Amino acid sequence: MNKNIILLKTLISSTSRFNIYRYTKDKKKKKKVVGAVIGMACMYAMLIGYGASISIGYGKYGLTGSIPPMCAMVISILAFVFTFFKTNGYLFNFREYDMLMSLPFEARTVAGCKFLYMYIKSMPWYLCISVAMMAVYGKYAHIPVYTYILWLILTFILPVIPMLFASFLGFIIARVSSGFKHGKIAQMILTMAFIIFCFSIRFIIEDMFRNEKVEATLNSISDKTDSAAKMYLPIKWFTDAVRLGTDMPGTGAVSGALLLAGVSLMLFFAVFFIVGRSYRNINSAMASHAVGKKYKMSSMKKRSIVQAIAFKEFKRLTGSVTYMTNIAVGEILAVLLGIIILILGFEKIVVTVTQGAPIDTAILQPAIPFIGYFFIGMVASTACSPSLEGKNYWIVASLPIEKKTLYRGKMLFNMYLTAPFMIFVILCMCISAKVPVGDVILYLILGVVLCGFSTAWGCVCGIKHMRLDWENEIEVIKQSSAVAIYMFPNMFVCMGLIVLSVVLGMHMSNVLLTLILITVAAALTWLSYIRAMSLAAKQ
Amino acid sequence: MSTMLDIRNYTKTYGGDRKACDNVSLSVESGDIFGFIGHNGAGKSTTIRAVVGVLDFSEGEIYIDGHSVKTEPMECKKITAYIPDNPDLYENLTGIQYLNFVADVFEISAADREERIKKYADRFEITSSLGELIGAYSHGMKQKIAIISALIHEPKLLVLDEPFVGLDPKATFILKEIMHEMCDKGTAIFFSTHVLDVAEKLCNKVAIIKQGRIVAAGSMEEITEGHSLEETFLEADNE
Repeated sequence: MNKNIILLKTLISSTSRFNIYRYTKDKKKKKKVVGAVIGMACMYAMLIGYGASISIGYGKYGLTGSIPPMCAMVISILAFVFTFFKTNGYLFNFREYDMLMSLPFEARTVAGCKFLYMYIKSMPWYLCISVAMMAVYGKYAHIPVYTYILWLILTFILPVIPMLFASFLGFIIARVSSGFKHGKIAQMILTMAFIIFCFSIRFIIEDMFRNEKVEATLNSISDKTDSAAKMYLPIKWFTDAVRLGTDMPGTGAVSGALLLAGVSLMLFFAVFFIVGRSYRNINSAMASHAVGKKYKMSSMKKRSIVQAIAFKEFKRLTGSVTYMTNIAVGEILAVLLGIIILILGFEKIVVTVTQGAPIDTAILQPAIPFIGYFFIGMVASTACSPSLEGKNYWIVASLPIEKKTLYRGKMLFNMYLTAPFMIFVILCMCISAKVPVGDVILYLILGVVLCGFSTAWGCVCGIKHMRLDWENEIEVIKQSSAVAIYMFPNMFVCMGLIVLSVVLGMHMSNVLLTLILITVAAALTWLSYIRAMSLAAKQ
Repeated sequence: MSTMLDIRNYTKTYGGDRKACDNVSLSVESGDIFGFIGHNGAGKSTTIRAVVGVLDFSEGEIYIDGHSVKTEPMECKKITAYIPDNPDLYENLTGIQYLNFVADVFEISAADREERIKKYADRFEITSSLGELIGAYSHGMKQKIAIISALIHEPKLLVLDEPFVGLDPKATFILKEIMHEMCDKGTAIFFSTHVLDVAEKLCNKVAIIKQGRIVAAGSMEEITEGHSLEETFLEADNE
């Protein structure tokens, strides 16, 4: 058997839930596998619903032609983002590096297989979106059977190019960072800088569209997807290919499909030829360090147990590029938002986001704490830190501390991580929006209570879905049930609350509304905290 | 006897100025059991990881059976086996799935792999656990699986980093027995250890590394000069 296939097969088996279910004798573990599969099925169902609802909206408003470029755009963006965050941990800096590299594998074989492994693992996500959009597109555009087949085939090819871009970017960041004395810090800074750049580019593009005076929202979206197709050719190739047999043919269905497949293949070999040449060098630099011998004993501080655990959590966060870039991204974006709002003004930002809609910014004031929470509460460190103990769980398990104390320490750290940033972003927004002082105080209280909710709810998810037998920390930070169960409902509810607080704010006083919201949030925080403590006691 | 491992002026630098290994040179012949001893952080694992092609290095050369680790890594890896001090195996594979993976990579025929896995698994008394997930194994059992996977392709050079850590006394005895048998067949063995008694009884050659530099290397008799290895090591350490 080809060595690529052997390695790929083993990589998949080594993280396959089926393998665990089949061979483990631990009934609890089996139940966890079943639970995780059900959880994933729910996530896939949500994605199918998302894909279908967007497409139905397009179809109903006569914008059927925009479904293929939208599908290609969503898959490309997801593939890029998913891969970029996983590069460090999957492609580089992974645990079994020594074992794999000591076996007779070429460096590019290992790197290529790791990439293909990421591709196979994330394929179901893209398929869910694509199949849902294809079904709706088929209904509205009356496409022939062969177009369905072509669409399905191209769905497998579509994520390759954005994934390769993301991998190559991760490679460049790793390559540059490996040249620094403090490579990890350099890697974190470069990754964060790129994430911020990605977020700002969205506004730059939107600004470009606004200057072209695209007024009607739906037409604007349609134009955007078409413009995206012009800027990013794989979207155009996919669109051209799947318009085959419809009454809106593209410039060349066959050439579109061939170009997409050919360029993907060529880029794959080119990227992994380049990556393979520096692979050992980068991993050596990232995974090996000489031990410094300059330390001198000085006066030491005594901390409380909870503070000591919080400090340990802080060092865990700053010690891992993957953990840091995933968990602290919300805080960084919140700071950025605060600074931009202070410089440009609350009003201008609202105009940019709402694309010039005639909205009185005063009615948006009650939503200020939730806007902050949208970023700060994106991911809570408490959702993944229980699982992140992994094989080191014995350390905390053998210490003479109660589990409740351990999780209090983890929660304290998340409060340290979130509350100061929340206060900062709320203050920035309030200063810029000229919010009365009394309201500012209430918004700050609500903001801190929301941080408390995020912390406690994250801890509930983290303890309930704790998984210590992970191979790679990305499995816990990005792909765990705990993070998914925390993140998605939290994000959607937060968006709903932004709208609700604005609507309610039009019918009652800001003070009363904020007081009600503080009470509700505090009650939910308390309930989550009690639940977290009871789960901790049962451990 | 041919030179199986030849390390020439190997230097590994971190952060531009900190030398983890400085001008390390030594050679291991076929049939040698070569002990590599030194303090924690002396540079043993850094040297071993470079030998097995895991760690990149810029200065010096390492040859395995005449092939350069830098320019012909595949040729070197095909004839080498490595057992790390704390093997990171795929925990969600069963023992037999992992051994099959390694056998596939080394392109071992079905009959050979069956015979060799059975032989070594029986010796280490782990055959009945091969169907279990590695994640459920104890540290010692994982170490045994790593040892069997290293022996499966009958390497010409066996590189071990602290191989006796975590093994029970019987498994330690069996491993020493296997090392002797391999050495008799012409395999070169290069291993690091802190257990000086084991090194003294097992090795015919030894090197002492201190702060990244080789301070003594040669046959056991040359190095110890009638003293115990422990005395020699402590003397070298105090210099």
